[in-house]
Amino acid sequence: MTAREARPEPADARPGASQGAAGAVAVDVGDLAIGGGALAILRPALDLVTEGGVVTVASVSPAFAEDVASWCRAERHVYLGAERLPDGRAVHRVARGPHGAAPAGGASGGGGAGLALRRPDGTFLAADVLAAVPFPAHADPATGFAPRGARVEPGGPPYPVDLLDRDRLAPPETARLYDQAVAAQWDATRDVPWDKVATLPVALERALGQVMTFLAENELSALWVPAKFLPRLHPAYAEVAMLLAVTLADEARHVDVFLKRARAGGGGLGVSHVTTSRSLLSLLQQEDFTEAMFLLSVLGEGTFLDLLRFVEVHAPDEATSVLVGKARADEARHVHFGLAHVRHALAHDPALYDRLEAAVRRRAATMGDAGVPASVQDALTVLAAHGDEPAAVRTGHAAFRELLEEMGHNRVRRLVAAGFTVTQARTLSDLHTPNFM
Amino acid sequence: MNTIVLGAVAYDPKVVTIWEGIRDHFRGAGVPMDFCLFSNYERQVEALLAGHVHVAWNTPLAHVRVRRRTGGTSRSLGMRDSDRDFHSKLVVRRDAGVRSLADLHGKTLAVGSRDSTQARILPLHFLAQEGVDLARVKVLPFDTDLGKHGDTGTSELDVLAALRDGRAQAGVVGDLVWVGEQAAGRVDPSRLEALWTTPGFDHCMFDALASFPSAQADAFWRALAAMRWDDPKSRRLLELEGLRQWMPPREEGYASLVAALDAAGGW
Repeated sequence: MTAREARPEPADARPGASQGAAGAVAVDVGDLAIGGGALAILRPALDLVTEGGVVTVASVSPAFAEDVASWCRAERHVYLGAERLPDGRAVHRVARGPHGAAPAGGASGGGGAGLALRRPDGTFLAADVLAAVPFPAHADPATGFAPRGARVEPGGPPYPVDLLDRDRLAPPETARLYDQAVAAQWDATRDVPWDKVATLPVALERALGQVMTFLAENELSALWVPAKFLPRLHPAYAEVAMLLAVTLADEARHVDVFLKRARAGGGGLGVSHVTTSRSLLSLLQQEDFTEAMFLLSVLGEGTFLDLLRFVEVHAPDEATSVLVGKARADEARHVHFGLAHVRHALAHDPALYDRLEAAVRRRAATMGDAGVPASVQDALTVLAAHGDEPAAVRTGHAAFRELLEEMGHNRVRRLVAAGFTVTQARTLSDLHTPNFM
Repeated sequence: MNTIVLGAVAYDPKVVTIWEGIRDHFRGAGVPMDFCLFSNYERQVEALLAGHVHVAWNTPLAHVRVRRRTGGTSRSLGMRDSDRDFHSKLVVRRDAGVRSLADLHGKTLAVGSRDSTQARILPLHFLAQEGVDLARVKVLPFDTDLGKHGDTGTSELDVLAALRDGRAQAGVVGDLVWVGEQAAGRVDPSRLEALWTTPGFDHCMFDALASFPSAQADAFWRALAAMRWDDPKSRRLLELEGLRQWMPPREEGYASLVAALDAAGGW
């Protein structure tokens, strides 16, 4: 009662059968009626042939014989009649009608090479799937949430997604970065040695609370900004959404550990400055995905890598050092994706540089002459000084100035890596927000 | 071009959705059209004959009445693909001992509304043609939604319910209802089966009077034919209206209904 292998019989020669129809497929539905399960055998068989392709259906059921033509009429297949076999079975012939999804195994089918994708070590990477079922250059809003590689029935409603072009969304590294991000997830409750939070002098504890407040505030923006683009992504680029989803989980964890550290030593939270608020609002108001990724991930999170290294190096206790180090490793992936995204987009759109520069200039205009928020400057200085002894603060302040220099230097380096000229990179770096993000 | 006013019978709330959607589609195709709804086909036929509407979306019974009342001069404008080659099914309980049409004698036969072509008029006509003496069959009628000519399908579901409950040993329903109910898993094939299928006949038709201008008839057809199953907007409407594609009119599929009405005095 199961489908036999498709046989290379010639296609139906009846007038009206389409040219190039698939070879006939034969099934046996035994004594099943249309309403008793026969369709579960007949329909998948029809799914194997193109329009006009013929399925022969052996049956011993008089009820099936009575109804199969009516079912064909209802489904717009063509019932071609039946003949009686010597063993008493009837063999009905059904030609596939014009509607429905493309046949299984056709050009639009796919889904890759199946189990052959699995690696000898037993792992199965998203990157391997993406290599087998690559991103389309453009995606049709009418395919909705249909997974890439599925056979999509035509006529579906268009979805309200407007990020439709591979070259603006989905660099080839996407799935590899997703695999890495998933493998690198950690637990904000158990993977930080919270018992190694030290009791610190008051000035240092306050400075640390201010730094953690600033980090958490910026990381909240890094949670909100990519999230607003997720619903606009076409699901054909699901790996981009999957990577962003893991990125959002990263940011959630960072907010969690930074605020935990601010509170764990009893110092509590510091000040949220208007400069920071204004800078982050200008990020949140970005409506172009590439511009937002550029401002957030390349310039903002890139600069944050240097900031996090600074905090890690000067961390007053092991808990702080570990949690900041873990956050920095996550942020490095975010920067990597941002760079890959912008590099990919720049390579396909020479006009993009001007747009990105304009986005940076617009943002700079909203920031006015603001500098690094005062209490953030002070807190980073005291942190590097390990306290507020004047001699140590001199060293701490020198370290802070070096940090600013290093941030500028590395921003230029990253911008060049993203595909900008050195001159362009310097211009953009100089215009970057004093809020770091 | 003057606005084409179309009549349709409001047999279900979805009729508003269907015709507002088709009206928008016609406007998009440059064919101004509006519609008005009637509560029953008798009223709609009178409105067409009186010139209150230009086009009536008619059941087969309404269509043959328009043909008769206009002396065959009415213009048929188009039909659904699903209106062609309609059949009715004689469904029996497997435990009823009905193995041939002759076995219906002495049994209870559930039928749909008396104005339903597929669930009453034609299956009884064809059964009589096959030699069934209807006087010897206990007919159990479900005269629901009279005036809607069977559009709601309610009486056909009543027939199937009567068969399931054992109130009837046999019943007649349209083929699309029968296979649709089976495909949806609402029929127990160990208890019910189709024993016989009537000859084919055609179903609904857009009717206009002979005075309907050819240019408008052409425009009407052009707009209809532009509705595509693969187009999301059209598809939603086509699904609701029960078709994949509009077809040109043909008259030969109504001969059996005319004969049935002549034989039974059903005009």
